[in-house]
Amino acid sequence: MNLIHSRLQTLFAGFVTAILALFSFQAQAQSQNQNDILTVYTYDSFVSEWGPGPQLKKIFEQQCQCELKFVAVEDGVSILNRVRIEGKKTKADVLLGLDNGLIEEARQLKLVRPHKLTTDHLTPVLNWQDDSFMPFDYGYFAFIYDNRKIERPATSLSELIQSDAQVIYQDPRTSTPGQGLMTWMKAVYGDQSTQQWQQLAQHTVTVTKGWWEAYSMFLEGGSDYVLSYATSPAYHAVAEGHEHYQAALFSEGHVTQIEVAGITNNSKNPELARDFLEFLTSAEAQKIIPVTNWMLPVIDGVELPQAFSKLIQPKTIGFTPKEISQQRKAWLREWRSAASQ
Amino acid sequence: MLAYAVVIFMTALAFYGLIGFDQAQFDARLLRDSYIQQILMFSIQQSGLSALLSILFAIPIARTIHFMPQLPGRLVFLRLCLLSFIMPTLVLVTGLVALLGRSGYITPLLSEDWNLYGLNGILLAHIYLNMPLAVRVLSQQLGHIPDTGWRLAQQLKLSPWQSFLKVEWPAIKSSLLMLSAFIFVLCFNSFAVVLALGGGPGSTTLEVAIYQALKYDFNLSEALTLAWLQFALAGSIFLLMAKLGKLNWLSADTGHQRWLPTWPKYQQHAYRILYCLVWLLLLSPVLALLPTILSVNWETFNWITLFTSALRSLALALTSALLALLLTWYLLQPIRSTYRHQQEKFRVILQWLATHTLVAPAMVLSTGLYIYLLPRTDLDSSGIFWLITLNALLLIPFIFGQLKPRLIQFDQQYALLSENLKLTPKQRLYILWPFIRPALISSFSLAVLLALGDVAVFSIFGDSDWSTLPWLIYGYAGSYRMAEAALASLLLLLLCIALIYLFEHTPGGHFRDSGSRKSKVKNGSGK
Repeated sequence: MNLIHSRLQTLFAGFVTAILALFSFQAQAQSQNQNDILTVYTYDSFVSEWGPGPQLKKIFEQQCQCELKFVAVEDGVSILNRVRIEGKKTKADVLLGLDNGLIEEARQLKLVRPHKLTTDHLTPVLNWQDDSFMPFDYGYFAFIYDNRKIERPATSLSELIQSDAQVIYQDPRTSTPGQGLMTWMKAVYGDQSTQQWQQLAQHTVTVTKGWWEAYSMFLEGGSDYVLSYATSPAYHAVAEGHEHYQAALFSEGHVTQIEVAGITNNSKNPELARDFLEFLTSAEAQKIIPVTNWMLPVIDGVELPQAFSKLIQPKTIGFTPKEISQQRKAWLREWRSAASQ
Repeated sequence: MLAYAVVIFMTALAFYGLIGFDQAQFDARLLRDSYIQQILMFSIQQSGLSALLSILFAIPIARTIHFMPQLPGRLVFLRLCLLSFIMPTLVLVTGLVALLGRSGYITPLLSEDWNLYGLNGILLAHIYLNMPLAVRVLSQQLGHIPDTGWRLAQQLKLSPWQSFLKVEWPAIKSSLLMLSAFIFVLCFNSFAVVLALGGGPGSTTLEVAIYQALKYDFNLSEALTLAWLQFALAGSIFLLMAKLGKLNWLSADTGHQRWLPTWPKYQQHAYRILYCLVWLLLLSPVLALLPTILSVNWETFNWITLFTSALRSLALALTSALLALLLTWYLLQPIRSTYRHQQEKFRVILQWLATHTLVAPAMVLSTGLYIYLLPRTDLDSSGIFWLITLNALLLIPFIFGQLKPRLIQFDQQYALLSENLKLTPKQRLYILWPFIRPALISSFSLAVLLALGDVAVFSIFGDSDWSTLPWLIYGYAGSYRMAEAALASLLLLLLCIALIYLFEHTPGGHFRDSGSRKSKVKNGSGK
């Protein structure tokens, strides 16, 4: 038996060595060229082939003589979750795709540092003064429907919730539109939200992890309504040349989303990250983002396709980032208890 | 003894993590949270229903298989049953979505309200994964009915129903309870299916809620509390099962039929139709992948990601299985000597220690380790090490179960003889090797297949930049790229089939019936 033992022992030792070798190799590969790589955490639809990612990458890389590396997760809240879990070890230089509902939380967790950039060139509509986050687009959350299937869309959030129309929305724990719906519900219903969530759960097809999954399912006929943006119809009009998909205008008002980017506290390349944030709000990038991410530009004077002028013009309701960050945990608890009944 | 140290050390770390400290503490208030109560109810409901339905469907199919030995492709069918039991769950999920999802091939035939996401999808997937296992076990049990039983039933002119009650039922009754408990535990610990097919907070199980608490909320206390809940429930059902007896699900299909009742023509037809139907059902999720692939955009498809993920999965699975095999080998050495020295109690303790990971669900161990390690080490670079070790640990019970009987059998037959003959260790190896090779190969291949499908451990310790094939499938499905998901699923499935083929055609390796035929020849008994 000893022989088998000694053989197995050799094998075991060899095995351990091999694993260790693999580690050190990986570690080495990681430490190379860290200076020339800007790592940006974002959500998946931003870097898809038709999203803004590929075009922005090409232009920015020409300017900076560096490599822009996108790391994509399902949706905005997942970016925050991931960086929070990674803590000091995160490789992210820039977080791109958080929104006004998350910036206070990200600030309190000390995930970001001041960007030290001016915000004068931004559109006065936003009235932006944040010193850590730079907006790159904005829009209104809205439910999208297919006007070939639905002739008379819901005209208010209550009408939608009381109806039996099939709805897909996103998980507020992972997705910024999902979180947007959560603030929307609180803004409209306040303490009565629980009953409304339960009512909505009666005709919810599924709650997805991210925006893309939900919207793809909707386009394949998965539901009557999907939670998305008031600007989504512009995509179908411009890219596909039809007006079948429309945003329902709700009388209670809509919640605004301002998508932002920030430089991480642990970034090894803050200069490069700052350049990237500046680039995001440049005329060049702002020309690309509305027709790829299908949101509104954050600077004035960007020429937009005709379809944008046909979009709904909702009145806005909602909370300040501070209010959201104070209530977020309680709201999430309320949502998951109500929606699971 | 080093192996025991490794196994115990890992679990100890995990449970030390679960005891909690600083930022993570057991929170009893959560047990009163209506959300937690709801997911607990749902976990029990879905596993109970899955077990019940799997077995209900399995009974008539097992009877068909047993009573109609002349059915074409019967042996292949039994093999398919095994394959669908060990098939990586995400392959099945992709197939089900392609069939029954929003734009599935069958969906137009269903009612307007049909919704795959939620309980429907979870049950379907669980039945698909577990019913074939039940079919195998039950048809074996039916094979144990002595000829005299049937002859007597015929002489007494029992009606089919009466003979079912008097002859067949007693034969399968004992394994039914065991089987239900086994399937219940499997479904209770099921992760990937619920993660992919659960339709939101209404159909979340404990296992998925642990993952969400860690990765969505970063709420360590909640993850820890839920992990204890999961462990307590799964553990007690497991103990119950241990009391009930042993389930012999991988054992040989004895094959030889002696005497069978003849059935009326109409019933034979019914059996044939059922048989064809089940074939179709088992194959359909896999076949549905094929046309789905056609819509892949070949120009932009990222082949490199697909192949590197596949290689990564293979490498991880092979190293985990190899490590598990080595650990099991060393774990077995003291147990062998307890047989020689007849230390009954010591052996029971050792065996329990060696296979204790069977009680603790993968998610519980992963969560505990994760909470322990997070503030202490750089999980980014050492994650892969924990991934392999934890997977290996979880594979040990499966290898243990197959290897132990063979080794003990060897010792009983040859240990004294080789001592008397004063054989050198090298000579002993020569004798031992052909004896355990089949069991070694079959348990190794089973371990590789199981590790290949791992999602639970990877979801905690994995790195999404460094994804394995199952995780890639989940990612594709998560962004609703079904064509890519189908392609990756098919590759994973082909890998599994290739592995099975490879192991079966290794000289002496019989994946399905490891060595029992040979041992039958030698000593007239399979066990």
